[in-house]
Amino acid sequence: MGQTGGEKIIPRAAGRDSVEPGEYVTVSPDYTCCQDISWPARKKIMEEAGVTRLARPDKLVMVVDHTTAAGMGTAYHANHREMRDFAARHGANYYGPGSGLRHQVLIEEGYARPGLLVFSDEPNIASIGAVGALNLAISTEVVVTSVLNENWMVVPRPVRITLTGELRPGVQIRDLAQILIRDFAETDDLSQSCIEYAGPGVSTLSLDERQTLLACTYHAGPDTALMPVDEVALDYVRARAGDRPYELFTADPGAEYAFEATYDLSEVEPMITVPPELHTVVPVGDIAGLRIDQAAIASCANARMDDLRIAASLLKGRRIADHVTMYITPGSREIYAEAGREGLLSVLAEAGATILAPGCTTCWGYEGVLGDGEVSVSTHQMNYNGRNGSREARAYLGSPYLVAAAALAGEVVDPRTVLGEPGRAA
Amino acid sequence: MTKITGRVWTFGDNISADNGIIQYSKVPDLGTFDIPALKAMLFVLLDPDFPQKVREGDIVVAGRNFAHHSHPHACVAMIESGIRACVVESTDSAFIRKGLNYGLPIVPCRGITEIAATGDEIETDLGTGIARNLHTGDERRFRPYCDSMLQVWRLGGLAPALRERVAAATAFMNGPK
Repeated sequence: MGQTGGEKIIPRAAGRDSVEPGEYVTVSPDYTCCQDISWPARKKIMEEAGVTRLARPDKLVMVVDHTTAAGMGTAYHANHREMRDFAARHGANYYGPGSGLRHQVLIEEGYARPGLLVFSDEPNIASIGAVGALNLAISTEVVVTSVLNENWMVVPRPVRITLTGELRPGVQIRDLAQILIRDFAETDDLSQSCIEYAGPGVSTLSLDERQTLLACTYHAGPDTALMPVDEVALDYVRARAGDRPYELFTADPGAEYAFEATYDLSEVEPMITVPPELHTVVPVGDIAGLRIDQAAIASCANARMDDLRIAASLLKGRRIADHVTMYITPGSREIYAEAGREGLLSVLAEAGATILAPGCTTCWGYEGVLGDGEVSVSTHQMNYNGRNGSREARAYLGSPYLVAAAALAGEVVDPRTVLGEPGRAA
Repeated sequence: MTKITGRVWTFGDNISADNGIIQYSKVPDLGTFDIPALKAMLFVLLDPDFPQKVREGDIVVAGRNFAHHSHPHACVAMIESGIRACVVESTDSAFIRKGLNYGLPIVPCRGITEIAATGDEIETDLGTGIARNLHTGDERRFRPYCDSMLQVWRLGGLAPALRERVAAATAFMNGPK
């Protein structure tokens, strides 16, 4: 039986010829990536275990992304310094406040490369699958992997989701991501799997769009996900990898998948996720007219150049509704700078939006905290009660189009009604 | 010894970790593990008296898609309440990992809900991959844990296991000349 492309990554990391789906194996990941808020707990475990050195500090990537700026009244600035000092002492890689999301640092700095296995403390870092790197979510085991240069993992089952067609104006890949969560989150069709996206629809998606889909995929049920590495992805990799190695894996003829599904991108409609469950996803028209207090474009799902361009295309020359607060967070320092060069930041600021420092920011309620009864629409990843502040607040999720359109209208609207002509802002 | 024997509590499909096993939005302080609060909310959405009924050594048997998208608080609530294993039709790998980090084995085992009911006693052997109903003798097989996972389980979780590994490595490096 042939192997899928994704299945070939793990044998390499395990030092074996082959592995079986569902098998527990010991692997040496190529990189381990961790963040800041959980750092004190990680450090404590290492200290209590008597750790004095890391097996491969060069493989550890430490990123401050959850607490982007050290604010008064928080203890987080202590974490920033502790991480910086730890990295300097051990020779690990450190990216301080404002560097951006781990997802972005990994790909922009060329750590994420085709065929590599990355252990990180977040499943949404599956976004690095856009360049063929396999993310595996761990948590406290960041320390084990860093100290011992090995850890166990479950070999995921290969699943294929084939994309056909092309998205229509006003519709975004985020809408499909929410549909996948609706369709699969309450099933085990994707449990313990790696989704390999495939089909002619993939080439219609930019690298940013692919990362959006991959970053949201975990909530539909799988362990992780990958995209095919085509020329678009390879161009990006070549520009970032330098002389660091990578390996392209493709599926053998006759490779078998544990589950398959097909989605036609041209049939996707603008969707909105209703709190507090991620799988409650409805056409935006179902709740059009709902007054909002806050709009936010942020998170590993949607904080890349495509997302900022789309927001700016709607907001250019307009003002958001008086009663709405809008926050926009570029996903990384590189994206922030690029958005500045393109003039997007001034468009967004002049429309009344607040630009925040790159990182997780509003997605987990570090900024843009919601009060009792407040309603937000955002591109965030989560919507449970209390995620963004008050447990009495309501957090709706949608695409950057949907969020920008809602910010302008002051209420939930179908973004297509704001578009003046197909595919372009009026 | 890789066997866990205990009294069964069964639950259905799609049991949410954060809104089923516990109620994450009602955890008083997310920065720490508030053990009394976590124990008091364990499975109460599904069985209001569960915290009073659960005993040391009990085993949870559940259906498909157990605890997807979890926070570790759900595992801490179970282990601190005395639950010693969860044997489920399906779950996600991250939950297996979070459970083991706190010394709680989560075992995906197809068919387990066909052979185990609340009140039964089952034996789950992590090393051989067999779950057996001690009342009926019915068995189901599952993928056994690998050695490094068994070591973490035996030592009670990730932190003690790391201590052991580091101590062993240090002893090796400082070993006999």
